[in-house]
Amino acid sequence: MAYYVNRNVKLTWWERTYIPEIVRGMMITSRHFFKNMFGFVPFFLGKKKEREIFTVYYPEETMQFPIAYRGRPVLALGENNLPNCVACGLCEIACPAYCIDIIPGENSGKQNEVERYPVEFTIDYAVCIFCGFCEEACPEEAIYMSDQFDITMLDRKKMKYNMEQLLVPVSELKDRMEFCRNMYGKWNY
Amino acid sequence: MWIDLAITMVKIIFILTITVGFFAPVLTWVERKQSAIMQDRIGANRADIMGFTALGLFHIMADGLKMFTKEDFIPEGANRALHTLSPIIALIPAILTFAVVPFGGVYELWGTQVNLVISDLNVGLLFVFAIASLATYGYVVAGWSSNNNWSLLGSMRTASQMISYEVTMGLTIIGVLMVYGSMRLTDIGAAQETGFWGFILQPFGFLMFFAASIAENKRIPFDAPEAESELVAGYFTEYSGLKFGMFFMAEFIEMVTIGAILTILFFGAWHLPFLTTADLLSMFDFLGDSFANLIVMFIHVGVFFGKVTFFIFVQMVIRWTLPRFRYDQIMKLGWKMLLPLSLLNVVGTGLVILALN
Repeated sequence: MAYYVNRNVKLTWWERTYIPEIVRGMMITSRHFFKNMFGFVPFFLGKKKEREIFTVYYPEETMQFPIAYRGRPVLALGENNLPNCVACGLCEIACPAYCIDIIPGENSGKQNEVERYPVEFTIDYAVCIFCGFCEEACPEEAIYMSDQFDITMLDRKKMKYNMEQLLVPVSELKDRMEFCRNMYGKWNY
Repeated sequence: MWIDLAITMVKIIFILTITVGFFAPVLTWVERKQSAIMQDRIGANRADIMGFTALGLFHIMADGLKMFTKEDFIPEGANRALHTLSPIIALIPAILTFAVVPFGGVYELWGTQVNLVISDLNVGLLFVFAIASLATYGYVVAGWSSNNNWSLLGSMRTASQMISYEVTMGLTIIGVLMVYGSMRLTDIGAAQETGFWGFILQPFGFLMFFAASIAENKRIPFDAPEAESELVAGYFTEYSGLKFGMFFMAEFIEMVTIGAILTILFFGAWHLPFLTTADLLSMFDFLGDSFANLIVMFIHVGVFFGKVTFFIFVQMVIRWTLPRFRYDQIMKLGWKMLLPLSLLNVVGTGLVILALN
């Protein structure tokens, strides 16, 4: 998509008199002004779709993010009400910001039970850079990037989320899961 | 005598209310909101009182409060006296210009002649230019006294720009003077009641005067003196609180002044097109002489400020449409294009007047 700007445009005499070109530019801005003036300034009349603008009243309205958007990483809570995570530590290693902290635990080794599970899983969002490497590294489909991004606190210690805060039912992550399978499945590790 | 004094006081209070009290604060809101709408944004709407935002109009109050409570900072090494004085020097001329600006004609109210201009000077136009160029001292002193390179550069640019464009402004006005034959702003306004409006008789004069007056006010596309991307904020970089607010107000009041002068010189002053004062008076004849005069007075004042508002709108559209000129381009436009054209305009006007007589 290389696009070259021709910086040596020869202006015609008409263009060099300034006035017509200035009027043309002002027509464009005025057109936007009057169109929007009747379209969205009485904003209580119209919904967002009708007023055809790009900005949203942020805390009251939120945007629908594309599925590829990387928000805060969350843990998937499987259908059996246990985290998908097996505490292998791959995300911990992949994390370039060292914000993931896992304390693994071992099961008794009975049949039908995973051998390892995370006793504690902490992500420090004050350190996290939202890169998505953890999601890419995970072999168990346990950690996913959600579409939430507005995690702001006054206390830095509260930015450390523990496992209860991180767990999200897997049904809410269906779309992202599908996207990741398509995305990372192609690479065929 | 007392009644004259009272009338003058009322006029002064009216002008102060409408410029300092109404236009200057509201324009700060209008500028943000209009630019937002032109750029498909929403604009200021967050300041609220009990959840009621009034389309962001409370931002005016919020800004005022902020300016009042902000620290008034004077940098180290600055000239304290001049640093404090310069916002006043910049603001006073902006308001003072309105002393000679007529915002209506002459009306006969209950046996008293009311001339809607504070001071009917016979050199009104010269007075406007003299006072408007005084404001430049404020900007130059502001830049010099704040001991800052950006400020000094900004004030130097202000001075050079003022010198360049004042010449063009003065020469374009000569065309208007030749057409209407008077320096008195009330005469020029009254002459457009029946005659053609100024922008028909002086189209090039109008365009050049508009460009030069925007350059005088240092707004985009001629905002090299404050150029955010080059000089931080130009001559008022080191100002905060109400002193900054005074520079800010001066700019907006100058916008109103430009609108008023353009209206008087080129857009028929307080008159409606094709409707003379006598026509309007006969329309309201059934109310009695004085009441008819009163109503016509209100109509004229409304028309005048309506036209001023239109010109402020145009200035805002220009400000949010055009990019900034480079410094050399400003000088080139001023000296190589506008100055010869304004001289040609004077010669052309003179020849046409000579041919018609």
